[in-house]
Amino acid sequence: MYMGRPRRWSKLALLGVAALGLATVGGASAAESGRLLETGSSLLYPLFNIWVPVYTKTYPGVQITTQSTGSGTGISESVSGLAQIGASDAYLSNALEKQHPEMLNIPLAISSQMVNYNLPGLNNEHLKLSGPVLAGIYQGKITKWNDPEIAKLNPSVKLPDNTIVPVHRTDGSGDTFIFTQYLSDTTPDWAKSIAYGTTISWPSVNGGLGAEGNQGMVNTVNQTPYSIAYIGISFKGPIAQDKLGEAMLENRAGKFVLPTNATVQSAANAMVAKTPKDERISLIFAPGADSYPIINYEYAIIKSTQSDVQSAQDLKTFLRWALSGTGGNAASFMHQVSFVPLPASVRKLSDAQIAKISG
Amino acid sequence: MKFRTLLATLGGMVPASMVAVLAFLAIYAWPAIDYNGVSFLGGMHWNLGSLYADPVSVGGVDILPGASYGIFFLIVGTLLSTLIALLLAVPIGVGAAIFLAEAVPPRPRLWLSFLVELLAAIPSVVFGLWGYAAVVPLMAHYVFPAMADTLGWLPGFGEPTGSGFGLLTSGIVLSLMIVPLIAATLRDAIDSQPAAVRESAAALGATRFETVWRVILPGLRSVLIGACVLATGRALGETMAVLMVSGNALNTLPQTIYAPISTMAAFIASQLDSALQDPTGLAVRSLAEIALVLCIISIAVNAVARLILAGFDPRHRRNA
Repeated sequence: MYMGRPRRWSKLALLGVAALGLATVGGASAAESGRLLETGSSLLYPLFNIWVPVYTKTYPGVQITTQSTGSGTGISESVSGLAQIGASDAYLSNALEKQHPEMLNIPLAISSQMVNYNLPGLNNEHLKLSGPVLAGIYQGKITKWNDPEIAKLNPSVKLPDNTIVPVHRTDGSGDTFIFTQYLSDTTPDWAKSIAYGTTISWPSVNGGLGAEGNQGMVNTVNQTPYSIAYIGISFKGPIAQDKLGEAMLENRAGKFVLPTNATVQSAANAMVAKTPKDERISLIFAPGADSYPIINYEYAIIKSTQSDVQSAQDLKTFLRWALSGTGGNAASFMHQVSFVPLPASVRKLSDAQIAKISG
Repeated sequence: MKFRTLLATLGGMVPASMVAVLAFLAIYAWPAIDYNGVSFLGGMHWNLGSLYADPVSVGGVDILPGASYGIFFLIVGTLLSTLIALLLAVPIGVGAAIFLAEAVPPRPRLWLSFLVELLAAIPSVVFGLWGYAAVVPLMAHYVFPAMADTLGWLPGFGEPTGSGFGLLTSGIVLSLMIVPLIAATLRDAIDSQPAAVRESAAALGATRFETVWRVILPGLRSVLIGACVLATGRALGETMAVLMVSGNALNTLPQTIYAPISTMAAFIASQLDSALQDPTGLAVRSLAEIALVLCIISIAVNAVARLILAGFDPRHRRNA
């Protein structure tokens, strides 16, 4: 309102906007064919990000867009048909499956979850934590780091007299799903009053924080001393870079383990045989002396009735590539995100589900 | 006649769209309004229920077991953060307006006014990002501990000072977003006062500050209230910036001024994808009910302001 610009500026601006508009329209119509949208789990997102460039080199006709929005969004957008691939650490609930029987839950890999914390001076120690202790922290019953329950598990560590800041996910999250399954399986009190889900009613804890996405959890723990959070294994790199602590969790055999390839594989071996045909199963709190308690299938939630034949074909080709040992499930990809490839028996089940996709 | 009808149609679309939005919200949220009842506003517990359990039937309505929708903590969070934002923004805005109108020579005045107005053009998510990256650590490490040391004796200002995400930080970020609304509007109004008023005041021996404070500003009460209402409206509905700095508290009331909160607008944005997981659909409709409550609060604030303005008008006319 103070700038008395000469008139030719406004004409040039108008021309520029019109050109931009035309370019956008032109671009959009050209990209209609061969487009796949993947949205959802922030735990699976780093893997998709390293898959897509390699895949599009082999199959240049397909353009795959990836988004990290949380498993809840992955499920809802796949159900509504907005996204072709809904990435989720959580399978569909019974009620949702009944409402939408055309939805497929297709595991792509096996992942796990860490419990991380920020204790100044103690981050290089691996604190031992159990399910009931974590439940107590997230319920507000255990408020200080030097609480006797935590000290009992870590007798040789000098725990500080500071208030614990538990951080939870605010978005609909598969990480919340598997974490609360672990709490439910280990703590009957939690199972009765709160249970599990991609979103739960978090008990009110004074000073407790919420964060969005796994990256948000990492940032919040990094910025907040004496905080604790549950974070997907694919964020092991950022955690190590920020020099944050990683806990050893108590498994079903009573041992305390870190999420390594060996411990995750041990848990997988114990649970994989029980996988049903629709592949909806919890791998949490698996038996075995060396099993890590929080592992899960990384699902692609797919609608079996796609909008057109071309999308269905592109989708099936991509999923088969993702599942193959020379494609997406190759060790080179899995290693970068600390995932474990799908065992052969589960791959067969996934292949059977992929065959159901039609256009 | 044709031009008149065209004008009437276009002009009528504005109030019609407002009515349409309210009507849509009311109709869409009706199942939730019916189920939740009055305890929606006073209830302290927002619980989507057990998402992975089978829906049960309560009073003829399908709901997830354990589902209950209460938003009292959201109403408190929204109103408190807006109040703090106004308490900070009004003195700063009025001060900035007086400074720009009176104390700055004409050449830099152009650019300074432009900069103040530019503050209003910054997208809210940018404010949120700046708040997250700069304000939160600053508050957590320096300002809040200092405040707790000096003002700790006041109720609500004591320890614990938390992580920097919370009520006061949200208030501070919101106040920066609404200051330009107040400052720009008021500065324009001060500028447009006739020179005769200033000359009369000067003739009576008033200083520059006395002229502004005792002669010009009292006559601009209605403008100030109008600007404050605009500012309140913006602060009540602010979503992204608050979402990033408020700490997203669930089901708790802030015990101190540093504690995390949640506001209605930020809550709707952050909870939508979770609510979509509810197969009964009641959760999304309850979010729509929150939106309806927010709309009604904003309208109520506007209505109260208009009543106050009406109170001032006849007096103003009498003086003129």
